[in-house]
Amino acid sequence: MDFLFDSIISAILLAVSLDTELLSIVAVSLKVSSSSTLFAGMIGVPLGFFIAFESFKGKQLVITCLNTLLALPTVVIGLFVYALISRRGIFGPFDLLYSQKAIIIGQTMLIIPVVTIFTIAAISRIDERYRKTAMTLGANRLQAACIVMREARFGIVAAVIAAFGRVISEVGISMMLGGNAKGFTRTMTTAMALEYDKGEFTLAIALGFILLFLSFGMNLLFNFFQGRTET
Amino acid sequence: MLYLISRLTKVYGSRTVLDIESLEIMEKKIYALLGPNGSGKTTFLKILGFLDLPTSGNVQYCTRPVRFLESQLQPLRKEVVMVNQHPILFTTTVYRNLEFGLRIRKISKKKCAYIIDEALDMVGMRHFSQAPAHRLSGGETQRVALARALALSPQVILCDEPTSSVDPENQGAIINLLRQINDEKQISLIFTTHNQSQASMLAHHTLFLDHGKLGTTSYDNLFAAVASRKDENSSLCKIQNTVELVVPGDRDGEIRLMIDPEKIDILETRKKDHGENCFRGNIVQITKEGGKIRIGVDSEIYFIIRMPADDYTRRKPMVGDNMAFRIPRKSIKLLS
Repeated sequence: MDFLFDSIISAILLAVSLDTELLSIVAVSLKVSSSSTLFAGMIGVPLGFFIAFESFKGKQLVITCLNTLLALPTVVIGLFVYALISRRGIFGPFDLLYSQKAIIIGQTMLIIPVVTIFTIAAISRIDERYRKTAMTLGANRLQAACIVMREARFGIVAAVIAAFGRVISEVGISMMLGGNAKGFTRTMTTAMALEYDKGEFTLAIALGFILLFLSFGMNLLFNFFQGRTET
Repeated sequence: MLYLISRLTKVYGSRTVLDIESLEIMEKKIYALLGPNGSGKTTFLKILGFLDLPTSGNVQYCTRPVRFLESQLQPLRKEVVMVNQHPILFTTTVYRNLEFGLRIRKISKKKCAYIIDEALDMVGMRHFSQAPAHRLSGGETQRVALARALALSPQVILCDEPTSSVDPENQGAIINLLRQINDEKQISLIFTTHNQSQASMLAHHTLFLDHGKLGTTSYDNLFAAVASRKDENSSLCKIQNTVELVVPGDRDGEIRLMIDPEKIDILETRKKDHGENCFRGNIVQITKEGGKIRIGVDSEIYFIIRMPADDYTRRKPMVGDNMAFRIPRKSIKLLS
């Protein structure tokens, strides 16, 4: 028990002293996670909007596939992207493996289904009469779609926040595609795994606290936007 | 001519919800569309508002044949605005709600402000201009929705049961407003309602829809009944398990019937009731509708009798009087 207590005290001191290694790890984590969330949002929001708004053959099948992808383990995506960007892969010449870009690609693939499914849910919750009202006021299909999007904005923001929460805490993709290179591709989760292997718990626990703090912040934001959606 | 409709049908699955042989709707007039729930009123309104497609038939709008293709309908929607029974206001301010349609029509901000102020003034909601629209009451929402339609200066405003979801105070305000819109702005109005009095009070023309078909009779005296065969030419109908009525035709089972209020004969009160379909009841309501007098009689069930004004002057029936009347077979129409 003393060991855990001492580790926690040391971790808090480390975090408060703004240790440069700790800050560098947090900065890399935030950078790759923010980038992947941005790209996933750029792809997932319009995709989710299209699926929710349009009627087409196989729509339910597409939604089922996306739901299945939500449960995809990060190591599977790590393996898949590794096969594509390793030297022998079709994107091998771009030399992406063990770079932040590789992590961003993998994480983007991980959360596109999350953003898409949450966007579909947010759009589907919007009363059909919003679209009809926009149309009777003279809006074309695109303008009516923008009105629906606007009404679903809080739900869509919540989708993006949920996706960020997923990537900031994942370890498989960052480890397999980033390689955990210090100061370069070392994220909070990969650093924690490494410190654990080394038997050094202080940094791991400090990072754990920061991760928990970020998750708490994300959840607060998520609940705020979900609350706005319900009102 | 605003609309010219011929052989219009709308079918959902195997159910025909609308089947209109022909109809002409004139410009700058108010039309009331009466009918029971599920009679196709809202579907018809959506087709007139170019928000739904008919299964077959022809519609001419302002003498132009309508091709129900999205590319062709969108410009037409700029001339026809529909206001729902429970209108949706966008989750922004009242002002921005009114601005939406105007901006689509590429009207300058300055002109928008003038038009919006004028429209909100007309519905008495100008002081709500910057209020969040989704927090308004039902009556206020209905008035803002009308202002939003009005601001676009359309040729036609279609209102789906404009007073059904508001309190009596707002009902009066909305009825006056609809009349004002038609009088002052010369905008054609087509509205659906269940309320015969409201239709008669407000509309220049009343249309009755039943099971998707246009009827010539009014919405009054519409009853569900259980019929049993009496003889080859007639059946005995029991309305609400109390009133028995002999109707023409050989029917059995559940039916719906309508009694033309203008064809009900008023009998001398002192005369003893005799003969087929004679009833007695207390007069509970007398109102003037156009050139006719509408009398509500409580005779176990509620009957409406409509009589010419001169006949009324001669007989002078009063509220509370006991009245005897006979429902001739020719006044009864079996609907299904």
